[in-house]
Amino acid sequence: MNRIIVLIALVVLVASVLMACAPAPTPTPVPPTKAPEPTKAPQPTVAPTKAPEPTKAPEPTKAPEPTKAPEPTKPSLRTKANAGEKITLFHFGDITGPYAGITTPLVGGFTDGVKWLNGKGGIRGAEVTIEWADTAGKLENAISTYNRFREKKPLIIQLYGSAETEALRDRLAEDKIPVMTAGVSAKGSYPPGYVYAVVPIYSDQFGLFIDWLAANWSKVKPAKGQNPDTPTVAIVTWDTSYGLGALTDESKAYAEKKGVKVVAQERFTMGAPDVTTQILAAKKAGANVIYTNTLAHGPAQILKDAVSLGVRDEFLIAGDNWAMDLSMLALASTASEGFYGVLPNLYWDDTTHAGIKEIEAQFKANNRKPAEHSVGYLLAFAFVDAMRAYIEKTIDRVGFDALTGAAVNETMAASGELKVMDGVITLDFGKDKRAPSKARIVQVQKGKFVPVTDWLTAPDLRPK
Amino acid sequence: MALRFAGDFDTTYAHDMAVIRNRGQWALTIAFLVALFGLPFVASGEILGMINLIGISIVAVQGLNILVGYTGQISLGQAAFMSVGAYTSAVLVKGGVPFWFALPIAGLVAGLVGLLFGLPSLRIKGFYLAMATLAAQFIIPWFFRNVRADLFGGMPGLRVAPPTLGSLVFNSQETMYFPIIGTVVVCTIIAKNIARTRLGRALVAIRDNDLAAEVLGIQQFAYKLRAFFLCAFYAGLAGSLWAHYARAINPEQFSLVQSVWYLGMVIVGGMGSALGPILGTTFVRLLDEFTIQFSPMLSKIFPEAEANMLAALGPIVFGLALMLFLVFEPRGLAHRWELLKAAWRLRPFAH
Repeated sequence: MNRIIVLIALVVLVASVLMACAPAPTPTPVPPTKAPEPTKAPQPTVAPTKAPEPTKAPEPTKAPEPTKAPEPTKPSLRTKANAGEKITLFHFGDITGPYAGITTPLVGGFTDGVKWLNGKGGIRGAEVTIEWADTAGKLENAISTYNRFREKKPLIIQLYGSAETEALRDRLAEDKIPVMTAGVSAKGSYPPGYVYAVVPIYSDQFGLFIDWLAANWSKVKPAKGQNPDTPTVAIVTWDTSYGLGALTDESKAYAEKKGVKVVAQERFTMGAPDVTTQILAAKKAGANVIYTNTLAHGPAQILKDAVSLGVRDEFLIAGDNWAMDLSMLALASTASEGFYGVLPNLYWDDTTHAGIKEIEAQFKANNRKPAEHSVGYLLAFAFVDAMRAYIEKTIDRVGFDALTGAAVNETMAASGELKVMDGVITLDFGKDKRAPSKARIVQVQKGKFVPVTDWLTAPDLRPK
Repeated sequence: MALRFAGDFDTTYAHDMAVIRNRGQWALTIAFLVALFGLPFVASGEILGMINLIGISIVAVQGLNILVGYTGQISLGQAAFMSVGAYTSAVLVKGGVPFWFALPIAGLVAGLVGLLFGLPSLRIKGFYLAMATLAAQFIIPWFFRNVRADLFGGMPGLRVAPPTLGSLVFNSQETMYFPIIGTVVVCTIIAKNIARTRLGRALVAIRDNDLAAEVLGIQQFAYKLRAFFLCAFYAGLAGSLWAHYARAINPEQFSLVQSVWYLGMVIVGGMGSALGPILGTTFVRLLDEFTIQFSPMLSKIFPEAEANMLAALGPIVFGLALMLFLVFEPRGLAHRWELLKAAWRLRPFAH
C-alpha cells in the first residue's frame, strides 16, 4: 500500500516539475491597429443585354462603368507609446573576466544613457528599461543568456565580445534579432546579416593604419629603427579571436600592395606580465613598426617592455581603437608618449563637442567614479542613443504596433550614415555594409589622445 | 539509482545484479524517460537551452568520472579532448558526412588522442600525471590554431552546420534537445554498466591500490589506457554535440579553465558514481546561471552602486557557494542521495 502511495506521490512530483517547467503564460499582446479594409469595388454589371434574334439587334446596352474602388485608406501608424508602454534594451558581455578592464564601465554608461533617455521622454513616450547579464567571457554563459533574452523578443541587443558575436551570428539571423557589437572581427560581421559593428572591423582599421603609415613614413619613422626606407610591421598581439582580428589574408595583401611589409605575428596571452621575447622577435624579424590588436593593458605592456629593453626609439608602436583608453595611459605612464592608434570615435578630450559635453555632464550628475571615466562608459552611453535612433526610425516606418527585431534590422540595413550624439560615434550601415569606415589616427602627446589626421576612410578589407 | 523500499529482497543472482529491480522501478524509469523526452513539448526555450548546456557537460564529465572517479587518474585535458571531437565532427560534416556518423567518429578520434596522452600514466601518477595531461591542454589547441588553417580555420575557427535528418534541421533548442539528451542517456547507461563489468572492477582496483591490483593479475597499463580512451571518447562526443549546438568553434572555447571546472563538477557531484556527474554538472551550471543574473538583479535593487562592484559580486557569490558546499558535503551530491536512499530503504520500519 505504502509503495503505491509513494509511487503516486512521485508521479505527482514529476508532473509538478513538468508544469513548473512549462513556459509562463504570456500576456495577451495588444492587437495591432489593423488598417481598415479598403472598400471593395462593386462588381461591374456583367454582360450586355443580348439582342433578340432575328430582329436586328439594337445596340447592346452598355454595361455601366464599374465603380472605381476607393483608394484604400492608409493606416495611420501609431508613433506614440501608449501609457505605461515600455521598450527594453538588452546588453550582455564579459563584464568580469579578462576583458573586464574595458568592459565593466560599459554597464555604468549604458545605465546612465538609459536614465538620460528616459529623462528626455524615452523612446516616443515609451519608458526604456534595461536587461543585462555578465557572461564572464564564457561562451556557454553567452549562449545561455541569449536563450533567456530571445524569449523576450528583443528589438535589438548590444554585445561586446568578438567570440560571442561570432558564435551567435547564425542564431541571431534565425531569430531575426539585430545586434550592435563592439567585438568587430571580420568573421562576426560578414557576410552581412543581423550583426552591426559599432567601429570599423579590425582588418579595416589595420588597413587604415597602413594607408597612413605608407603616406607618412618619412615623417613618422622611428629615430633608430632598422630598414629606415621601408615600413616593416610586426603584429604583437593576443592569441585570441580578437587579438588576431587585424591580420587577415585581405589586410596582409593590402599592406603588401601599399609597400608595407608584414614580417611577423608574435602572440602573447592576455595578462602576460612580460612581452620582451615577442618584442625581440619582432626586432629580429627586421620590424620597425609594432601594431597590436589588444585592449588597453596589451599596448601598455608592450610599451613598458620596449622601454625596459631600450628599444622604444627603434619602433613606431600603434594599436586598434580599444587600445586607446585612459587605462592604457595610466598603466604605461610615460612610456605611452608617442603611441599611435586608430580612433573611430570622439574622446573625453574633445571637451568642446556638444555630445561629449552632454555625456560628461551625465557622468558627473550620476556621481560616477574616475575609474569609470573610460572609453567603455563613453561608448555605451552613445550606443543607447544609437539604439533609440534606429528604433524611432523603425516606429516612423512601421508604427509602434509592428515594431519587431526584423523591422529594426530592415531600418538598420538601410540607414546609411548616422551621427550619434552629434558624432561621438558615427555608424554607417547599408545593404551589404555592416560596419562604419571612418576613423582618425591619434597620438599620445603629454598624456592625451591628439588627432594627427583628419577623418580618414578605411579600405574595405572584409573577407572575400 | 532509484529508491528501494523495505521488504524488497533479492531472491536471485540476476535480481541482485539488476539495476532496475522491480516493476515499480521499471514504471518510474519509463515515466521518467517519457517525461524527459516529452519536456521539449512543454518547456520554454530558455529552460531547454539550459538543459542542453548541462547535457553536453554531463557527457564530458561522465567520461572524466571514469578516469578520475573509477580509476583514480587525474586529467587536466578534458576540454582539449572535447576540441578534438568538435573539430573532427565539424570537418566531417563539412565534408558531407552526416552528423549521426560524425558523432561516434568524433568520439573515436578523441579517444585515440586520449590514448596518446595516457601513455605517461605507465610511469607517473598523481600530480605528475596531472602535469603530463596538462600538455594536452596546450598542444591540442596550438595544433588547431596553427596547423592546416584551410581545414581547421586557424584562430577564427569554423562555422558548423546544425545536424539534419531528412528535411528536419536541428537548429533550435527544442530540436537539439533530442540528440543531446539521447547521448546523455546512452552515455550514462554505458558508464553505469562499465562499473559493473570486469573492466569497471579492474579500474576500481587500480584506484584503490594499484600494487595489489597488479599482484591480482590486472595489467595496470592496459586498463589505465582503456580508462583514458573512454574518458576522451566521452569528451569527443561532448565536443561534437557542442560544435553542432554552438555552431561556431574556435580553439579559445576549449580552455584549461574549462578542464578544471569539469574536474570540479566531478568532485561536487561525487566521484565514482554515474549519478555524480549529473548532479555535479547540474549544480555547478545552475549556480553559474544564478551568478549571471545576480549582478543585474543587484543593480536593480541598488541602481546607484558602482558597476565594478556589482560585476565582481557575481563571481564572489559563485566561489563562496561552492566553497561552503564542499565544506559541508565533501563527498559530493551523489553521497547525499545515497544517504537519502538508505533512509527510505528502512521505511516504514525505521526502527
